[in-house]
Amino acid sequence: MPADWVILLPYIFLAGGGLFIFCAAILRPDASGLYFAIALIAVVVAGIAAALHPPGISFGGMIDAGGYARFFAVLVCVVASFTLLLSLRYAQKRGIAGDEYFALILFAALGMCLTASATNWIVFFLGLELLSISLYVLIGSSHDEPASNEAALKYFIMGSVASGFFTFGVALLFTATGSLDIATSLAKIPPDSAALALLGLGLIAAGIGFKVSIVPFHLWTPDVYQGAPAPITAFLSTGSKVALFAALLRFSLVMSPELFSYVTPILWGLAALTMIVGNITALAQTHIKRLLAYSSIAQMGYVLMALLSVKHEGGSAVVFYLAAYAVMDLGAFGTVALLSRGGSDLDAVRDYQGIGYSNPWASALLAVCLLSLAGLPPTAGFIGKIIIFKSVVGAGFIYLAIIGILSAIVSVYFYLSVIVTMFMKPEEVPAGAAVRVDTLGAALSGCILLAVILLGIIPSPLLSLIESVLYSFRI
Amino acid sequence: MLTVIIFLPFAGAIAALALWREPKMCRRMSLCVALADLLLVTSLFFAALRPCPAGSWLLLEDHSWIESLNVRYSLGLDGISLLLVLLTALLGVLSILVSWKQIDEKVGLFHFFLLSMQAGVMGVFLATDLFLFYLFWELQIIPMFFIIGIWGHAERIFATVKFVMFSIAGSLLMLVALVSLYILHGQATGHYTFSLFMLTGFPMSKTAELLIFSAFLLAFAIKIPVFPVHTWLPDAHTEAPTAGSVILAGLLLKTGAYAVLRFAFPLFPNAAFASVPFLIAVGLIGLFYASWIAFAQRDMKRLVAYSSIAHMGLIVIGLAVWNRITVSGAVLQMINHGITTSALFILVGMLDERTRTRDLSEMGGIWTRMPIFSAFFLLFAMSSIGLPGLNNFIGEILILAGAFATHPGAAVIAFGGMVVTLVYILRLVQETLYGVPRREFAEMCDLSGREAAILVPLALAVLAIGFYPGPVLDLLQGPIHSIVGVGVGRMAALP
Repeated sequence: MPADWVILLPYIFLAGGGLFIFCAAILRPDASGLYFAIALIAVVVAGIAAALHPPGISFGGMIDAGGYARFFAVLVCVVASFTLLLSLRYAQKRGIAGDEYFALILFAALGMCLTASATNWIVFFLGLELLSISLYVLIGSSHDEPASNEAALKYFIMGSVASGFFTFGVALLFTATGSLDIATSLAKIPPDSAALALLGLGLIAAGIGFKVSIVPFHLWTPDVYQGAPAPITAFLSTGSKVALFAALLRFSLVMSPELFSYVTPILWGLAALTMIVGNITALAQTHIKRLLAYSSIAQMGYVLMALLSVKHEGGSAVVFYLAAYAVMDLGAFGTVALLSRGGSDLDAVRDYQGIGYSNPWASALLAVCLLSLAGLPPTAGFIGKIIIFKSVVGAGFIYLAIIGILSAIVSVYFYLSVIVTMFMKPEEVPAGAAVRVDTLGAALSGCILLAVILLGIIPSPLLSLIESVLYSFRI
Repeated sequence: MLTVIIFLPFAGAIAALALWREPKMCRRMSLCVALADLLLVTSLFFAALRPCPAGSWLLLEDHSWIESLNVRYSLGLDGISLLLVLLTALLGVLSILVSWKQIDEKVGLFHFFLLSMQAGVMGVFLATDLFLFYLFWELQIIPMFFIIGIWGHAERIFATVKFVMFSIAGSLLMLVALVSLYILHGQATGHYTFSLFMLTGFPMSKTAELLIFSAFLLAFAIKIPVFPVHTWLPDAHTEAPTAGSVILAGLLLKTGAYAVLRFAFPLFPNAAFASVPFLIAVGLIGLFYASWIAFAQRDMKRLVAYSSIAHMGLIVIGLAVWNRITVSGAVLQMINHGITTSALFILVGMLDERTRTRDLSEMGGIWTRMPIFSAFFLLFAMSSIGLPGLNNFIGEILILAGAFATHPGAAVIAFGGMVVTLVYILRLVQETLYGVPRREFAEMCDLSGREAAILVPLALAVLAIGFYPGPVLDLLQGPIHSIVGVGVGRMAALP
């Protein structure tokens, strides 16, 4: 059994990096390059530490450091490092590249890692709050943009309500089962307090549902995504959702089959509703960040659908799709960040007219990510969708699969309409005024592009890694 | 070998993208790649003409690909796919030649999409793993979407979105069916697989078979296209650049018919058997309805597009009757239709480049201005109506004669359909080639060397199949025998 501090190394690096940035800011104010470098190093080292450190459980079984938690820690670190890379130029241009910007990204990443690895409700709550509070500030970090401030306030109010629901739910569950350990409290529900426990579980689900924007708790999503600075939107839509779904998957895996059968019809309804509402509302959007927001809602519907089949398939579909989703949504929002000049983001779909030729790299990335989100081959999203439908049909939810596929057909339309605007309509902006993506941006686009396509062509390594991670989780 | 055939065009596509700054180089390079691919396939074709006792599969490839899903990268080549791959390679070369002058913007991107589509279509014809097949099936849609959308005519965006939405709607429903088939087979046998060979002959409950078959058939029917789901095709054709029309008519429609033959019928023999009357009915309706609409068209491209729906109706009948003669006829007709209709689209495109219009009422008297062009036009028009001695005649007679044995009523009506074809094609010929020469067209030059080079191989193919179809039919015999033999209970229908 390794010592606790070894297991905590990734968390120590993330937290230490953040604190170090604050200290550096006292000595060297306004050195955004320095803060960025520290943050990037901290994230990369934390990611490596998470990938390498020995498995185990620490703090009396409150933090899981097995393969499952480490897999998500690495994923979160990858997402965070891409967010940092996307942020550097973006934040410098807008004058928001202060110490708090980079440090808070680290703290948010720490919160995400904690939620994914918590085996105790209190630790989970700590992670949830850490990521939420960091994100409240990050969303509002464009001080001069009213939309950014409004988005921060909205997310703050909604987020606090959600946290309230969640805490109350945990309290009820604790009352019913007498345990704060996630696995114990979900494994066996005492018959005499079943109602209390189910009520608590419902409140917990509602609280997390807010955070991962599942219909009907999704209303904040488009406004917040639109208002937040684009790299932060990318982080918010990928990192926090991945981490919270990692937790949801953990809950579902440890839940007793009997309890899971109570939850199933509710999940079924939520998944269907989320896919339908997300995809159909996206049709009407004229702004790309709002469109991507609704698309990400719909994507969560697919993951929720896969979550239904964990008792049959063991959840590898969920994990693979989360990884694929993280890459492609990072690419989609990342392109918005890359293409935005100073001032407000390049948001109206109209402004993307003909951009495919003035910015081939960035728009190729956006196009491939959109095709991937639509589930067309040869991309990560395609394989992800196939695996999800395989496990959903295998678990016997054929009608849900059909609802999912019908809503996917609808979604193809709005994904394609963005591509049509980018490549098939004449350029409106005079060529000189178009944004040029710098070398770093082009390299980033290239990396994500490659990742999306490689995951679509050779998914086997990641799939077998996920299988082994889930296997170790069950032990 | 098969991998090389598929991925050579794809490598060319990447190279074309890399050469985007130099259009001339890019065109030459793409042409060389396409020619090399054609050469490869042709050598296979001649190798296959020699009698080989190895059974119906000439070449097979099999590698493991995604282990956890048991997806395999497996390709197979038999006589049917060989002919279609040959057609693909030929039309690939021609569509590059056709666009030599017509496409002068974003040349690199155009060749990227053109060549990657060629790769996708070849993949469809060669895949024997359903997952791989599905991958290629969708992969061919996306390049076409861009080709119509970027280089098309005025209404291109509407047309291309309509095309993609129809195609994707069909293929996504097929995806659910495909996954259900995979799961059902896995649950019944404990062996999860997408392999065509393993899944063939797998017994299912009647309802499941019918539902899964319907989803497959819908996807394929949209591609063919069969009567009620055909509306995307005239729009797509009208707006597409010539190369797009050539690929669409010559290849994409064929993938639908091929998939019915290779996948839908052998996998679900009982459901397929139940659907025969329905398929014959929609085939006949398509034949007459599309001919009728074609007669009313003023736009030459639209007219050819509707004629292509009518021809595909006959192919559907040939497949639905499902005996050795009609299926041979249907496959041969797929090739013929690919040659003839592509040639007609190319000719209309050439005319369009000269006159800047495709309106029939503005044409007339072309023969006196462009005798060589008109001779080709007449040849392919005659081929299209099935003049004896030309290619379509052989295919049509096989389908009709084969169908007569078991479905005499349908055969008689279909024969009536042939007559209707005559009417609108003759009108097309009459209004363009004959009549008073228009003064505006006084300075039209006849075919250039490049244009003649495009048409000569197609014309030779028309004549060769028309006069001596023996070797081609021999090539089809083995595979068709083994595929048609799968349909249990229908052997009695064989003459």
